[in-house]
Amino acid sequence: MAIASPSEDQDSHPPLGRLGRLRATWIGPLTLLAPSGLWLVLFLVLPTLLILNISLMPGLRPGESPIGYGLGNYSQVFNPWDAAFIPVYIQVIGRSLYYAVTTTVICLLVGFPVAYWLALMAPQRWRNLLVVAFVLPLWTSSLLRSYAWSSLLRPSGILNSFIEWISSIIGVPLPTQDWLYTSTAVLIGLTYNFLPYMVLILYASLEKIDRALLEASADLGARPSQTFLKVTVPQSLPGIAAGCLLVFITSMGDFVVPTLLGGASSMTISRLIYNQFLGITRNWGLGSALSMVLILAVSLAIALLLKYGDRDSIAEA
Amino acid sequence: MPRKPSLFSRPSRRFNPTRRRFLQGTAAAVAGGALSNCRGGISDVQSDDTAATTGGEGDAKTLHIYTWADYTNDELAAKFTDKTGIDVVVDIYDSNETMLAKMQAGGGDAYSLIYPSDYMVQQMIELGMLSELDPARLTGMENMLDKWQDPVYDPKNVHSVPFSWGTTGLLYNKDAVSGTPEDWDYLWDNQSDLARQMTLLEDVRETMGAVLKSLGYSYNSSDPDELKEAYERLVEIKPALAKFMSFGYEDALLGGDLSIVMAYSVDAISLTLEDDRMEYIVPASGSSVWTDTIVVPTSAPNVDAAYEWINFMLEPEVSTFAVESLSFATPNAKSFDMLSDELKNNEDLFPSEEVLAVCEGIAPLDKETSDLYDEYWTQITSA
Repeated sequence: MAIASPSEDQDSHPPLGRLGRLRATWIGPLTLLAPSGLWLVLFLVLPTLLILNISLMPGLRPGESPIGYGLGNYSQVFNPWDAAFIPVYIQVIGRSLYYAVTTTVICLLVGFPVAYWLALMAPQRWRNLLVVAFVLPLWTSSLLRSYAWSSLLRPSGILNSFIEWISSIIGVPLPTQDWLYTSTAVLIGLTYNFLPYMVLILYASLEKIDRALLEASADLGARPSQTFLKVTVPQSLPGIAAGCLLVFITSMGDFVVPTLLGGASSMTISRLIYNQFLGITRNWGLGSALSMVLILAVSLAIALLLKYGDRDSIAEA
Repeated sequence: MPRKPSLFSRPSRRFNPTRRRFLQGTAAAVAGGALSNCRGGISDVQSDDTAATTGGEGDAKTLHIYTWADYTNDELAAKFTDKTGIDVVVDIYDSNETMLAKMQAGGGDAYSLIYPSDYMVQQMIELGMLSELDPARLTGMENMLDKWQDPVYDPKNVHSVPFSWGTTGLLYNKDAVSGTPEDWDYLWDNQSDLARQMTLLEDVRETMGAVLKSLGYSYNSSDPDELKEAYERLVEIKPALAKFMSFGYEDALLGGDLSIVMAYSVDAISLTLEDDRMEYIVPASGSSVWTDTIVVPTSAPNVDAAYEWINFMLEPEVSTFAVESLSFATPNAKSFDMLSDELKNNEDLFPSEEVLAVCEGIAPLDKETSDLYDEYWTQITSA
């Protein structure tokens, strides 16, 4: 678009000449795009190419010179016939996918009713305040919020004190929970961290629905449930897709929550990558290969987002 | 090899946050970009950007130190600044491997001093990353106890100055465990009672070593059969573990959520001094004994200031002050003599010779064995 528009202008102006046309079609837009383009190349494209490069050096460790190029790192992760193959890598990738998908589903199930109420039912004058209340937690560091969860979830923590208090009131002993350092804690932490994004995107999408359509549906005899399923949901599908993909992408790559709240059996791909670079195993080749797998998975999700998602809602949120 | 304050909670402790400091950080980030030319060898990059991170005439007055948490504090740094006029900036790491990775990636070129542990000293010497120290410029090395005059990890202390030492063992809450833990076996014997109330260190060499020791093998075993046996023993106890963690267990232990944790003595001692319920033991079948040192990396700027700091830390009074305020064991005979009797007789801090006789130092492994350790570690922590 940016490149096309100057050339359209040519018709209404005196002829520009060769140099002028060159300036109009290339130099102007390039000057405008150069800062962000340079930024992207320096801090996104080059690092990614660097990771790709290292991922093709089998078993490269820092301080060693590469033995040569090959797919050894990938085959170690995915190829069961490789001598160096260990199934745990696939297991870790599977667990990360499980965390991401489960988080997304819970966020959708919890977030949709909230967003629906906010967008269509909440009193107009409270609406902005309520939306801000939802965004407010995002202003503190996710690290602090995750730490807070560890004191909520520990066996002697606030959650169990609360359960015991309820038990003492109703006179029925309720089972206390030992959730810290388990997958449950990771899922709670991820859901808590990413729910606001889901709600905001769904809210932005639901708010745009034309009320007249809902009224028309009711006028034509549809029950509220029919209106919801046949009018509201289909119109908010792009928002649902956008929210789900965004939550999926961010929770797939999250490092803080699984590290702080996860236990002896909740290794995720982001922690595994960390271990390859700064942890004990220090295998940059393998770490880069795992990073490429993560980048690829996330890129795929982003491609889906661009195709099916409601980009306006994300922008508004 | 202590040190908890996690990379999250206190990524760095700076005495002098200045604008220069910020700019250096930025320069380091950009220098990271230099890695993109790394086709030939990643290790080559590190020396190139020293100028970028340390240029400028004011730098002779600033000393950058990269160390474990709790190995220095504001008071020590202030004393040093008073004495020499040199400002001190301290950054903190939480494992030898993290430090090595950062140094190798070229992110550590501003540091004049680092504090690696024994086996890491050996590894860094082999990688050619450490400068030889000039004995003529060091004062007080003769005060080191005999054991540290000629340590195996760095014969004759050519590259390193011993700074602190300690053991690895079990730290537990007396009120929460039944009986008295004496050996590593206690964990396996009581795994159903103490399920999810125990942790092991997130450290491949220490944890594998402890299991090897409990089986009667060496902490540094390189026998594949013994390693396999140790791995299987770890698999056996894994369901009872809350987590692998090297730091951050203090609150949970004091609050009763954890009952027994594997810990470095430095971390354990501060808890035992703080709370009577806390008890630390070096397991009977043996454990590791480690030394943390001060070294000057080859990339170090401002070497003069580095020597000033080392000599400052070698002064018996300063060393004694450090031991008393930070509770670690010193290899310095003179400063040991100056300690209070209470600390001198603290068996957790200075274990008896009989206890130390069954302990081993962690030694570097050949590549094949080290890969095997890593593979088992990945399996145990990822499954």
